[in-house]
Amino acid sequence: MSTVQQETFDIIAKQAKIELDTIKPESTLKDLGIASLDAIEVIFDIEEHFNINLPNEDTDLDNGTVGQLVEAIERQLAQKTNE
Amino acid sequence: MRRIVITGMGAICALGHDAPSVWKAMTEGRSGIGPIHHIQPGQLRNGGIAAEITDYDPANFFDEARRALLDPFSEYALIAANEAIRQSGISFEGEAGTRTAVVIGTGAGGETTRDDLYERLYGEHQGRFHPLGIVRMMMNAPASQVSMVHGITGPSFVVASACASSNHAFAQAAMMIRTGMIDAAVVGGTEACITLGTLRAWEAMRVLAPDTCRPFSKGRRGLVLGEGAAMYVIETLESAQKRGAEIICELVGTGMSSDAGDIAAPSDIGAAAAMNMALRDGGLSPGDVDYVNAHGTGTVANDSTETRAIHRVFGEHAREMVISSTKAMHGHALGAGGAIELVAAIGAIHDGIIPPTINYLEPDPACDLDYVPNVARERKVDAAISNSFAFGGLNAVVAVRRMA
Repeated sequence: MSTVQQETFDIIAKQAKIELDTIKPESTLKDLGIASLDAIEVIFDIEEHFNINLPNEDTDLDNGTVGQLVEAIERQLAQKTNE
Repeated sequence: MRRIVITGMGAICALGHDAPSVWKAMTEGRSGIGPIHHIQPGQLRNGGIAAEITDYDPANFFDEARRALLDPFSEYALIAANEAIRQSGISFEGEAGTRTAVVIGTGAGGETTRDDLYERLYGEHQGRFHPLGIVRMMMNAPASQVSMVHGITGPSFVVASACASSNHAFAQAAMMIRTGMIDAAVVGGTEACITLGTLRAWEAMRVLAPDTCRPFSKGRRGLVLGEGAAMYVIETLESAQKRGAEIICELVGTGMSSDAGDIAAPSDIGAAAAMNMALRDGGLSPGDVDYVNAHGTGTVANDSTETRAIHRVFGEHAREMVISSTKAMHGHALGAGGAIELVAAIGAIHDGIIPPTINYLEPDPACDLDYVPNVARERKVDAAISNSFAFGGLNAVVAVRRMA
């Protein structure tokens, strides 16, 4: 598991108060019981942690998977390194 | 029960500086949404659009002494109230003033003043604040200003329930008239929320659309903030007839409910409860309603939830009436929303024109009603309701009817 994925899963587990090993890359936030403002808070915590901005297009809170979220974070981190 | 009629209407928003201009723009399907003028583009993450009031100079409306006391949210309330009172021809001389109320809905308060003061404090580390900061930004300022300017000495206050504030204000004013406490009220809502601080807070909630507002449409991506005010003179039918006033329409009922659920996610049960109460209160059956001015914010959640609520309340009639959201034109003016949108409901009754839901791309299966997409439609309307559903699960609906 990449560090980014590890750290992201830690943030999600903490916010949702769920066991780390219940989170799979194919889970959606909804599957994990994280809806509405809780999901927005997860995104905020991730942005703060990695110091990135995640555009709304990369944060499909209904159907997007956690794996896709990790990819979006890695894209933003790569872009930050290139700047 | 005392019947309540509307005898004056005033409005200012991105669509114009008075009620006739606002209504005309609504019938033309004109959008007031565009790039924000007074915020630097790079300061916002997402789009940087809003429905701002343009070509506006407060000096055209107020002398210098008055202006010093006013945050824009009070300016807008006064401009709209002045227009409504002028149209109504009502006088507040003598006892009439004591038997009139001012009730104004607002969600955010004096945000421009607050932003400016805090910029000085936290940004520029300036020690000295302007002494009029408090009287400009206090939530009750617009109600105080309207009472002072017009000599209205009855009960005056502000009602805050975020996006439902205006409709809660109508309900409060109507109840005071019905009990006999007062005979008339200057009532509506005002908001001036296009500030950097407010916009950044809304952005963080991820509900602002980056492109535009597309209520009930497939491809909708969120709401677009607006600003402005609309104010009305309402009074007993008896008082209006005695004065020989021209009656615009009857305010027949109001309904209020609370979801007692999620702090942000809407509820079709709560929304339906408020609509049902407004119909019952107004002596209307679902089949009497020809037009619903929807809350219709353009968020994925609101528009599908509101559609389910309309199905719940109106049953088969939901497909026979028409629904539109004018927010795609004047934006989401939060606490002023219900008041600005009542211009649409009244205009529909008065002129037989349904203002369209503009920016509509194609149907969303979760929003399966007739939203009058993109182009206004002629249709006789005898009764209409106007919906407002706030964050925090607070819902308020107003019902109006042609004067019979």
